[in-house]
Amino acid sequence: MSAPTTPHRASGLTWSVLRLHRTALYAWGAALLTAAAVLTWMHVIGPDARAAVGNCGSPGAVAADCARLQAATVDEIHTHGLDLAAIGVTYLLYPVAAWAAAALIGRELESGTAQLAWTQSVTPVRWLAAKLAVPAVLLAAGTTLAVLLGVWARRDEDGSLIGGWFNTNVFISTGPVAVAYALAGLALGALAGLALRRALPAAGAAVAAAFVLHSVLDQFRMSLWPAVTVTGQAARHLPSGALALAHGAEPSADGRSGLWATYQPESHFWPLQLVESGLLLAVAGLATAAAFALLRRRTP
Amino acid sequence: MSSTSTTRSTVAVEAHGLTVRYGRRSTAALDDCSFRLTAGRVSALVGPNGAGKSTLLATVAGLLRPTAGTLTVLGTSPAEARERIAYLSQNKPLHPQLTIAETLRLGAELNPARWDAAYAAAIVEQGSLDPGTRVRGLSGGQRTRVALALALGKRPDLMLLDEPMADLDPLARHELLGTLMADAAERGTTVLMSSHIVAELADACDHLLLLGGGRIRLGGGLDDLLLAHTLVTGRGTPADLAPHLVVESRAAGRGLTALIRNDGPVDDRWQAERPSLEELVLAHLRSPSAPALLAPGTTATPETVTR
Repeated sequence: MSAPTTPHRASGLTWSVLRLHRTALYAWGAALLTAAAVLTWMHVIGPDARAAVGNCGSPGAVAADCARLQAATVDEIHTHGLDLAAIGVTYLLYPVAAWAAAALIGRELESGTAQLAWTQSVTPVRWLAAKLAVPAVLLAAGTTLAVLLGVWARRDEDGSLIGGWFNTNVFISTGPVAVAYALAGLALGALAGLALRRALPAAGAAVAAAFVLHSVLDQFRMSLWPAVTVTGQAARHLPSGALALAHGAEPSADGRSGLWATYQPESHFWPLQLVESGLLLAVAGLATAAAFALLRRRTP
Repeated sequence: MSSTSTTRSTVAVEAHGLTVRYGRRSTAALDDCSFRLTAGRVSALVGPNGAGKSTLLATVAGLLRPTAGTLTVLGTSPAEARERIAYLSQNKPLHPQLTIAETLRLGAELNPARWDAAYAAAIVEQGSLDPGTRVRGLSGGQRTRVALALALGKRPDLMLLDEPMADLDPLARHELLGTLMADAAERGTTVLMSSHIVAELADACDHLLLLGGGRIRLGGGLDDLLLAHTLVTGRGTPADLAPHLVVESRAAGRGLTALIRNDGPVDDRWQAERPSLEELVLAHLRSPSAPALLAPGTTATPETVTR
């Protein structure tokens, strides 16, 4: 990357990437501000919501007993607010992939403005490096912020209020895997843009690739770290927060039926997050390498 | 690339057996193309549609990787010479969302070592364009002016212009061509420019490269090429014109008009005159099978052939 000539202003390629994609930059800033506002609000009304649920949710309590109008409203807003933020983070991969494929790379190759940059004093490789590095930094920073705010707003210390940790949206939006998804979307989009060289087909291909990635990982998420298997009484009472994967009974040697269950305990959250993040970063790395290889093969 | 080339600074572009193919099975856009362009020349690149003009310019600009052959630009490879080359492609791509001032800033940011901001701004001002206007709102001719400012602002040693004047009005064309030529004359910039308007080229250029079927059909200084050909009129058949090589002949009344490549003095029976550049180019465009002619300064030196 080019060395900045003045310490406080972006220069060279960095300036050009920021200026050319200013609309996307503003949109990203606006999205983050909205998320921050919503999540701060959710954090503030969190205790009320928790109190309402706590009363109603306690064993033996009848829901109507505590169905005070205000509490119910607060609870609903809280749930929906957090859900919305989680959905935003979870599906961020799609708009990022489409934008990278169409606006970042595809359109530039289609209209010839990429060649315009390459015939200045910028090599195609440096051009692509800047095109990927600047959005990658902004995406990683922004997504990290959104995840931290989300975790803070959920106030999960006393047990989950809105969906278990294993719920797709909750899982993706509360850990490093969110950042890895965003970066994978960026890399897949850039590769699609370089391969197809036209904005619209590239956007379609990138979204399709993102969908495949998202679906496959959704399918195999809980197989990415060895599950715990228990038998006997332990299989009847899985620890709180555990995700039961399978259970059953089989005749054991002494004639009694033996119960068994496999589950992912909540303590596996971090190993599962790290393995999935690793896989996603590997996909992002491979897509980036392929994009550079493609560019190098085409241009001298 | 060609390690044997003795990096003479006097050679701007030298190609040996240059072949460029889009995709594996398609026909080559450039097919075993060899030529040399001396530094300081203002060369016209002409040829029929699909002859490979744009491909040649883009390859010299370092945008396309040759399939085969060697290409030396400003004594090095096109990629190495990137900083010193300006390229204006046919569709004049610019970022529509930038203003003119921002477009020029882009030139400054992407050419930190070479940018001449005052010169680029002057070219824009000459067209009485407001620097605050967005490129999106410019007419085709105005865009060309901004694109040319971006190309000239980097103060290149080699300028590659693909149909630069096609969408300019006659006044702007004259003016911009003047700017271009003044700059080339003052700084000794080599210019290679393609155009369909042959008459326009005659005033501006001193060198010609005629491409046909992916190769150079005719190349050399304009004066040399014009001197090597004669337009003859008279009675007879093309066979009567031996030993001259008949590039093109047409029946004219009861006689014959032919463009010949001289081999010694022309017989008195024929009325001989110097062809114009347009006549020379048109005759060769109409007769794609005429043998190629490259003036001595335009042939690629054989010792640098590395294939």
